Amino acid sequence: MSLKKSAAWLVLAFLSCPLGRLNAQEQAPPKGLDFPLIQYKLKNGLHVILSEDESLPLVSVVVAYGVGPIREQPGKSGLAYLMENLMFQGSENISPMQHINYVQRIGGEFNANTAFDKSFFYQTVPSNQLALVLWLESDRMGSLSVTGVNVERAKETLMAEQRQRRSAEPYLESFFLFDEILFPDFVYGHPLPGTEEDLRNITEEDVRSFYRTYYVPNNAVLCITGSLNVLRTKELIARYFETIPPGNDVPDPPAPKLVEGSPLRDSQLRESLAPSPAFHFGYRINQLQTGEYYSLRILDILMFRGKGSRLYKRLVKKERVALHLSGGIEERRGLRAFKVFTISNNPVMSELSRKAIVSEMGKLKTTLVSEAELAKAKDLFKMDYLGRLSTSLLKALFLSEAFLSGNRLEDLAAEYAKYLKVTPVTIVSLANRLFTPENAFTLSLITK
Amino acid sequence: MIIRRRTKGIRTCLLVGLCVLTFTLRARPQERFRKSPPIPDPLQELRLPLIESVTLSNGLTLAVARKASSPLLSLQLVIQAGESDSRPDLPGTASLTANMIGRGTDLLSAGEIEERIEAFGGEFAASVSLDVTVFTFNVLEENLDKALEILSTIVLKASFPDGQMDTVKRTVYYELFEREKDPEFVARRQLFRMLFKGHPYQTSIFNEDVIKKVGRVDILAFYDRFYRPNNALLVIAGNMNLSTASRKISHFFNTWTARRIDHPIHPSPAPNDKEQVAFIDLPQAKDATIFLGNVIFPATSSDYFPFIVLNQLLGGTMGSRLFMNLRESKGYASYAFSGADFFKSCGVFWVRAKVTPEVIRDSVQEILKEIGPAAVERASSFEIEQAKSFLIGNFPLKNEPLTSFSLEVARIKTFNLGEDHWNKYYENIILVNLERVLATAQRFLQLRPAVVIVGNKDLIADDLREFDTVDIYDISGNLRSTINKGVEK
Repeated sequence: MSLKKSAAWLVLAFLSCPLGRLNAQEQAPPKGLDFPLIQYKLKNGLHVILSEDESLPLVSVVVAYGVGPIREQPGKSGLAYLMENLMFQGSENISPMQHINYVQRIGGEFNANTAFDKSFFYQTVPSNQLALVLWLESDRMGSLSVTGVNVERAKETLMAEQRQRRSAEPYLESFFLFDEILFPDFVYGHPLPGTEEDLRNITEEDVRSFYRTYYVPNNAVLCITGSLNVLRTKELIARYFETIPPGNDVPDPPAPKLVEGSPLRDSQLRESLAPSPAFHFGYRINQLQTGEYYSLRILDILMFRGKGSRLYKRLVKKERVALHLSGGIEERRGLRAFKVFTISNNPVMSELSRKAIVSEMGKLKTTLVSEAELAKAKDLFKMDYLGRLSTSLLKALFLSEAFLSGNRLEDLAAEYAKYLKVTPVTIVSLANRLFTPENAFTLSLITK
Repeated sequence: MIIRRRTKGIRTCLLVGLCVLTFTLRARPQERFRKSPPIPDPLQELRLPLIESVTLSNGLTLAVARKASSPLLSLQLVIQAGESDSRPDLPGTASLTANMIGRGTDLLSAGEIEERIEAFGGEFAASVSLDVTVFTFNVLEENLDKALEILSTIVLKASFPDGQMDTVKRTVYYELFEREKDPEFVARRQLFRMLFKGHPYQTSIFNEDVIKKVGRVDILAFYDRFYRPNNALLVIAGNMNLSTASRKISHFFNTWTARRIDHPIHPSPAPNDKEQVAFIDLPQAKDATIFLGNVIFPATSSDYFPFIVLNQLLGGTMGSRLFMNLRESKGYASYAFSGADFFKSCGVFWVRAKVTPEVIRDSVQEILKEIGPAAVERASSFEIEQAKSFLIGNFPLKNEPLTSFSLEVARIKTFNLGEDHWNKYYENIILVNLERVLATAQRFLQLRPAVVIVGNKDLIADDLREFDTVDIYDISGNLRSTINKGVEK
């Protein structure tokens, strides 16, 4: 979604409406989606989302920025992940790591994470400490401390962490390689933590420039959920955030360079240090037609969610050809991929796993999913979806993510209903359109 | 010492603060209010849902904690029997029994049960502690009846099929085997072995080898004795009221028959009072893990709230004394925390730390110094207020997820902690003061804790010789040798 427009110097009219109650004739939203919601924009473009829930005296505050590896340039990969670390290294009025100390001292919890095109910073604290968190978050949004020393220290920390992860997770490298195969241009396909070489190349000026460009109010959303007094909260938000100047307009990230086919359709990684043979299997999904997204999500659950999923039942329980199975639909700003990863005892089992997956994908295209199986998948979907709204923090993260993904929060209840309208026919037609040999890729790991 | 360290910390902050002023990316003068943290608003009242309960005609206790806004329900079926109720010659029986629930009834196979649960998206899990066995079910509100139907079927009509016994034993065996790669698990288990020696709780500490001794007949006997409605509690958290819940539970569980259960409450084990240092060799461990602790009171004690404030002061979080000393000040440890586990008969206060092998002895000494009453006596009221502030702030966070909330309700009911433990949590903490914390420390931190060290012997053998006496155990808890005054025998 473009946040360019959000830099407009207009305070949008407050949208204060329970989800799904825009139209009196519409059905009441289901429980779990019937929470109140207020949205508005500050003069500097910062989008604000408030959702009140009095059940416990706590509040969750998420500040999410529309930035991630998608904004990195070749040779500078890992910059967004590095920024995640630097955001805790102090700002004008808060010394390094003090952010953490302030939150922990009052019994609060904090964290941050970087996704492909979004970065989230969040904390949950007692509701009477809301001002403290807004003070902390506004200070690092307005005046992050970027010094040569803390940039170098953060780079060293990340490089050490990466070395440790790569030695502890022998299959990790193959995941990065398979992403490069499925998402073939640098912007969409490079690894989130970056490479050690690129991290070394990142300069203090790169960090300053990246921060000034993307960690600005007009590229961010502030979401507060929990036990809040709306008037008081608005006052505090205005006090701490309104005078932070907007950045320049944030351009849309480059569109992916779609590549039809690839010389890397069936690749092998021979020099792997992996203890057991494994392989990646995936379909590149370039574009979805209207409504197909909902079927894809339900299909994801059918194939992967839990021990009752089709792939787990076939590969692990019934045929016992895979020791490990994981996968799902991955989204990278409009580009998607269906990914499966298996580890087997030996190359024969690995090959049998591949055949079983191909066979299961074939069934999706030729046989209608039974109503009972579809109902089960929808129940699991409901559990997952409503579970993502079950605590104040999860709700704040969900709303921030949905907003930055370009979804209208007022439409969540209607969107939810669309998942529940998926039919066996929409799934079979989707499978036939997407899961073609031209879109399929594999990467086999051959052990030494 | 603490005061000196604090002063140094403040000076460091000031220096860093000056650097920050020089380099921050702000292009405009800042407002005055940004220079210091804001004053908090008054603490908001904590209004927890009432825990309503009723005992059904067959003796099953039902407790309901209503969270009206939740579309999900969390169910906990608590059987008041855990690993300490396994026969002393058959440890692991409670775990195997719990794991066999859901593995078959007279009419349903394990696969069919799994499919039925999956069919409505239910999430089912079993866990066993020293005193209790807990079965957890998370479901959509609309699927409660289906969940209760399958839960009552698998518990009341469990058939313990022979064919599943081997599978379950293998699973439990490998789970334990896998966990033994974790130095903390190994160290904690050894500490409990030492503290519970000669007490019925000792039965709950076992290694994977004993699993094979337990047969179907032993599981049936355990099930028959303890899986009774008058020995069980069912907790429902979510959008449910007591009368509806009671009607539904009666419907699904009314065929469950009560039986008199002779179930003595074990006396509290005596605290450790001698110097004991144990070592277990774990060749793959890169660092040394220290786990030390001692027996304290059960959660029903009036010392509970002063003690959790004390624990917070000592080692509850990264800002507590142990972490600040062993990691931030001395640089010995990658972490150092304290905590307490509470059971029906007693509690165990413990400290866990991961340290570099060369400083094991220094680390143990620092820990002992930090948790000794003398160190606690130097606590200021400010430190106590900080610890209380953390506990008050963290309580609603900890209990916000529905399953955690439901488990807390189950804990309160199981351990008979009383309504005030729940409803007056804030008051209970606020009323703790320095004097009460000191009195608690005097009572429970006087005796020397037992110490367990786990690490790679090849890397730390020389460092172990710095202790007067170290008993070397194998991973199963058998004493193999002793290092006395530097000489291993």
